[in-house]
Amino acid sequence: MSWQAVDRTRVPEEQLGPGLSEAVKEKIRAFFSRYPTKQAAVLPALHIAQDALGYVSLRAMKELAELLEIPPSKVMDVVTFYTHFWTHPKGRKTLLLCRSISCELLGAGKLKDAIRQRLGIGEHETTPDGEYSFMTEECLAACDHAPCLMVNEKMHKCVRPEDLERILADADNDRLDIPRSDLFDAP
Amino acid sequence: MPTITIDGKKVDCREGVPVLQAALEAGLEVPHYCYHPGLSIVASCRLCLMEMKMPNPQTKELEWAPRLFPSCQTPVRDGMEVRFESPAVQGNQQHVMEYYLVNHPLDCPVCDKAGECYLQDYSERFGHASSRMVEDKHKNPKKNIGSDTLLYQDRCVLCTRCVRFCDEIAGAGELRVVDRGNRCEIDVFPGVPLDNPLQGNVVDLCPVGALLDKGFLFRQRVWMLRHTPSVSPADSSGATIWIDHNDEGVHRCRPRFNERVNQWWISDEQRFAWRAYVRREHERLTLPRQRRGGETETVRWEDLPAILRFRFEQAARAPSGPQAPAPGSKVAAVLSPMMSCEEAWLLGRFIRSVAPQATLVLGHVPVVGQDRTFAKGFVIRAEKCPNRRGVERAMESLGGPNLALADFLKAAGEGKFAAAYVVGGYPESWVTPDMQKPLAKVEFLVVHDLFASPLSAAATIVIPGASWMEREGTFMNCDGLVQPFERAIVPLEGVKSDGQFFHELCGEPGLFRSRRTREKMAETMPEFASVFVPRQEPEYAH
Repeated sequence: MSWQAVDRTRVPEEQLGPGLSEAVKEKIRAFFSRYPTKQAAVLPALHIAQDALGYVSLRAMKELAELLEIPPSKVMDVVTFYTHFWTHPKGRKTLLLCRSISCELLGAGKLKDAIRQRLGIGEHETTPDGEYSFMTEECLAACDHAPCLMVNEKMHKCVRPEDLERILADADNDRLDIPRSDLFDAP
Repeated sequence: MPTITIDGKKVDCREGVPVLQAALEAGLEVPHYCYHPGLSIVASCRLCLMEMKMPNPQTKELEWAPRLFPSCQTPVRDGMEVRFESPAVQGNQQHVMEYYLVNHPLDCPVCDKAGECYLQDYSERFGHASSRMVEDKHKNPKKNIGSDTLLYQDRCVLCTRCVRFCDEIAGAGELRVVDRGNRCEIDVFPGVPLDNPLQGNVVDLCPVGALLDKGFLFRQRVWMLRHTPSVSPADSSGATIWIDHNDEGVHRCRPRFNERVNQWWISDEQRFAWRAYVRREHERLTLPRQRRGGETETVRWEDLPAILRFRFEQAARAPSGPQAPAPGSKVAAVLSPMMSCEEAWLLGRFIRSVAPQATLVLGHVPVVGQDRTFAKGFVIRAEKCPNRRGVERAMESLGGPNLALADFLKAAGEGKFAAAYVVGGYPESWVTPDMQKPLAKVEFLVVHDLFASPLSAAATIVIPGASWMEREGTFMNCDGLVQPFERAIVPLEGVKSDGQFFHELCGEPGLFRSRRTREKMAETMPEFASVFVPRQEPEYAH
């Protein structure tokens, strides 16, 4: 096994995933005027692509590269650098668990085990039914309420493993308390 | 010229170079991975850190600053004082080397790079003998990333030289660092492999065994190889190369630093040019043959000069047509741009000595597409032969009648030539039907070539030639730069190197030495009095 090489020179068509619609591309093009180069618009472009597809597929990266006039490898470089960009389908609910020191000291480890047991997935993975994804984060900026867990838009504080079921079922998970900045959606 | 003090020793250095470069040029061994003089500076490997004297903000006195500075990113300034031989610097080197080996598989016994690997060298010189790592090593995959290149990610030290090369020199940017922190890997976008025409250089650039040449994989241990300085015959740029070879033949070519032509790089065409000669080795002509009637028979090399001299003199003396042109005007020699300057000059001189009015012709010059210039000025020339300029220069100095190849073929088709000496030496097939037909009219045709061809089948005398790896001489590149190349391997059995044969043909005694021939050429062509040999890179630079 160890001497076998992964073939990166070709990729099966089905692994490329969905592409970007013309409307999404138009939205990205509208950002170009804000930056000195097209390449500089890579982050907003990736946000738009992820919002549209739920993740950034290989085909989307390729199309973005064409739009931004850079090699596709450069787009992949950026996508993989930031953990918030997903290179594979993300579930409808994303669980973000804090892994920094105060949460860790107050039981984030046990909570992590509970989540992994409940969902049956590891870090940066998605349940087969497409419902949940799980990842850890360096700090959720709520150390005074450690350990904390974020589900989509809602921050759950002082979470104990036994609270998990209640948190997953919380109807407020998708509620946005703060509306997103205008700057993001409209150029 | 700034003067700096390294480890208490005064060193004169070039203006504007980093301290690391100055130290290397002064002969110091400073470990480094990410620094390469031809690429941008990222200071990411942290191996070349040094101590530097800075003014103390309170006392304004110069003292050793408390932190270490990357010597690759610090330009030299006059009067600067730095040191590498200190506990802090050496401690850093040890720690960094230990980190590099944390996940390294230590598979040197099966690694192509072993023997010229800077992970080996620096571990031995600057690191620890043993590892304190007791945890499981992280295993990264091996990846097939391009037509000629493999990436063994587990051996990578993430110096990003290959990434910067693809961005800055080749301009295609196929290679990238993906992921972040301890999960970093070098990778291509899936389905967009490394396929720029300079990709072979990433293998030379890699200081460890991560990037490997598929053609060289598991072929040779590098300490079995001998290195011969040569000049690439693949195009007219005159890129200088090393030919790595041993008793089994040639195994690879690597770029040889040349500040005036190719810098540190060569194109893949130049790198793999030798393979064309090896691939067609079974088609090589191996013994001189002479046609008698319908049959051919082998001729001894020793008899050839006399035969040729007699036949050419005969053709030169023969009455040639109603207007009775000058003696020898029915004799011609086609000089190939694959010949070295010395060979072209010797052959021209021989032909002129037997037939003073013989016509000299510059042979077929293969041209493919257009010159291709890369971002930082590397050029792949369209002219796929090494020495058109040199042959033209030799013909010019010999004077007398010259013809272009097309005109010569036309005249030959009209039966104006009774004897011709045609030199080939191209790695690919070069004889076209419109070349073959007119030359069939030449009564006494001598073909001196590497491979059997329709032309050699029709020739009266066939002389086997030697490839550029089996010869010595000089090539004059497209800018008129005269550069010598040495013989790497012995000619195929039965073959005599072209220079030696022409030497004997001219009646010279002893062995052919290109330098001695050049001394004679310099009497009429002063540019051959000295040849250009590129500056040597510092011993510890890589």
